[in-house]
Amino acid sequence: MTMTRMELVCPAGTPATLRAAVQAGADAVYCGFRDETNARNFPGLNFSRDELAEGVRFAHDHGSKVLVAINTFARVDDVDTWKKAADSAAESGADAIIAADFAVLDHVARNHKQIRLHLSVQAAAATPEAIGFYAAQFGIRRVVLPRVLSLQEITALNRAIDVETEAFVFGGLCVMIEGRCYLSSYATGKSPNLNGVCSPPEMVSYDEEPSGTTARLSGFTIDRYERGQPVGYPTLCKGKFKADGKTSHLFEDPVSLNAGGMISGLKAAGVTALKIEGRQRGKGYVSEVVRAFRKAVDAVEKGGDAIDVDRLLAGQSEGARQTAGAYEKKWR
Amino acid sequence: MRPLNAEPMLPGFVRHLFPTVAGLPLGPLLTLSLRALAGRRPGLFERLGEYRSACFVIDPVDLAFAFRVVPDGQRSSVRVVSKDEAAQSDVLIKGPLLTLLGLLDGTLDGDAMFFSRIISISGRTEAVLALRNTIEDAELRPADLLGLRGSLARCVDTGVLGALGVARRLAENNPSEARKA
Repeated sequence: MTMTRMELVCPAGTPATLRAAVQAGADAVYCGFRDETNARNFPGLNFSRDELAEGVRFAHDHGSKVLVAINTFARVDDVDTWKKAADSAAESGADAIIAADFAVLDHVARNHKQIRLHLSVQAAAATPEAIGFYAAQFGIRRVVLPRVLSLQEITALNRAIDVETEAFVFGGLCVMIEGRCYLSSYATGKSPNLNGVCSPPEMVSYDEEPSGTTARLSGFTIDRYERGQPVGYPTLCKGKFKADGKTSHLFEDPVSLNAGGMISGLKAAGVTALKIEGRQRGKGYVSEVVRAFRKAVDAVEKGGDAIDVDRLLAGQSEGARQTAGAYEKKWR
Repeated sequence: MRPLNAEPMLPGFVRHLFPTVAGLPLGPLLTLSLRALAGRRPGLFERLGEYRSACFVIDPVDLAFAFRVVPDGQRSSVRVVSKDEAAQSDVLIKGPLLTLLGLLDGTLDGDAMFFSRIISISGRTEAVLALRNTIEDAELRPADLLGLRGSLARCVDTGVLGALGVARRLAENNPSEARKA
């Protein structure tokens, strides 16, 4: 069990959001460059080299860290783009690089020993052997855990490894191998890894129809919503489909992870850092979620109970519904 | 507590003022304002990338007209259009005026407003995302749109944002009265 204060790691898709996250109480902010080297490559999102350097200065001036996600898998003919992104992150004075690709991990380990390496959730490393391999080969200092592990499994994992662990506590969930959704690739013909999203926005439509709103991805109907009914992200895994004559959320319910009530459990399990998902979300979301989790983490660190994060953040959840996800899983 | 999808519509007395306002040359004034903003902050529009030439129609559901915006830096244009013309665009964003203004000044989160159906979007989703992210990062204040600086800018920001806050509280406290107006 770790006795150090848990770190709150928060998302930032723009410089303004980085500042908002820091001012709301983030211990660390993670962000990426405005290209396909990070897994949130959305239109209008992310940082230029200059913006990152300025963001690092701002964060450091306020006692926060910056972690740079270069966490997609490089293309065979263009590894240099990923290496240059890592070089730029190191030059910016950022505190860590979050990576998954062996080529990026190896490049950073060999050329930028001063910067910490965190293993991205995209690597889907969930066993002591896998994490031990990354630690031995590349000197990773922290692993971001896939969102498929229970508290008991995280506890066992932390006892067996020598690196820090970072666990998601709020935001979207993924039922596939993290970042490699073959369902999305089939429907869109694009890589969710390089294009940064399960549902490339240019292929998404919300069509207003007489019966309500229909969400489609690449022409596939994902869900239909009656007027006034909350809607969710247009992701295939959370769509409603008919199978064996029954219409249901076949793969996953449209809910968001909220482990606000499990912070003390995660601390007891040995988790070093708590991660909020949502670099694609706006400043209002980031400010509100970070403030709520700041209070909750501080309460737990003082030996008290976490505040009622669930109630505070109901309006920020996808489909206005929340789950503790795999942390409480009763299935395999 | 206000339901998540309750729309904070403009209070009745404000809505009654708008026929007068609509008679003003709002389009040319907003066009000048946007172009002047692009002159002062040229980097602001870079985030839009290829979508700066897209046509966005912003349709406040509690007003009788909509705005047709092409946010192309110093070639930007804003036109006041009828609701019928609103459909002819790359993107249509509909919602109560106070909510739309809250998105512009960063008070409200666009995704949360969309999930709870307070705003609706149709058209090119990627262009909406680029616009949302650009506006988020711009951190626009009322004085930015008016080209004001210094203490006058601070006074205007305080006054306008304060007035918007009061209008939102009025709308949230009495949504049914506002709808009747």
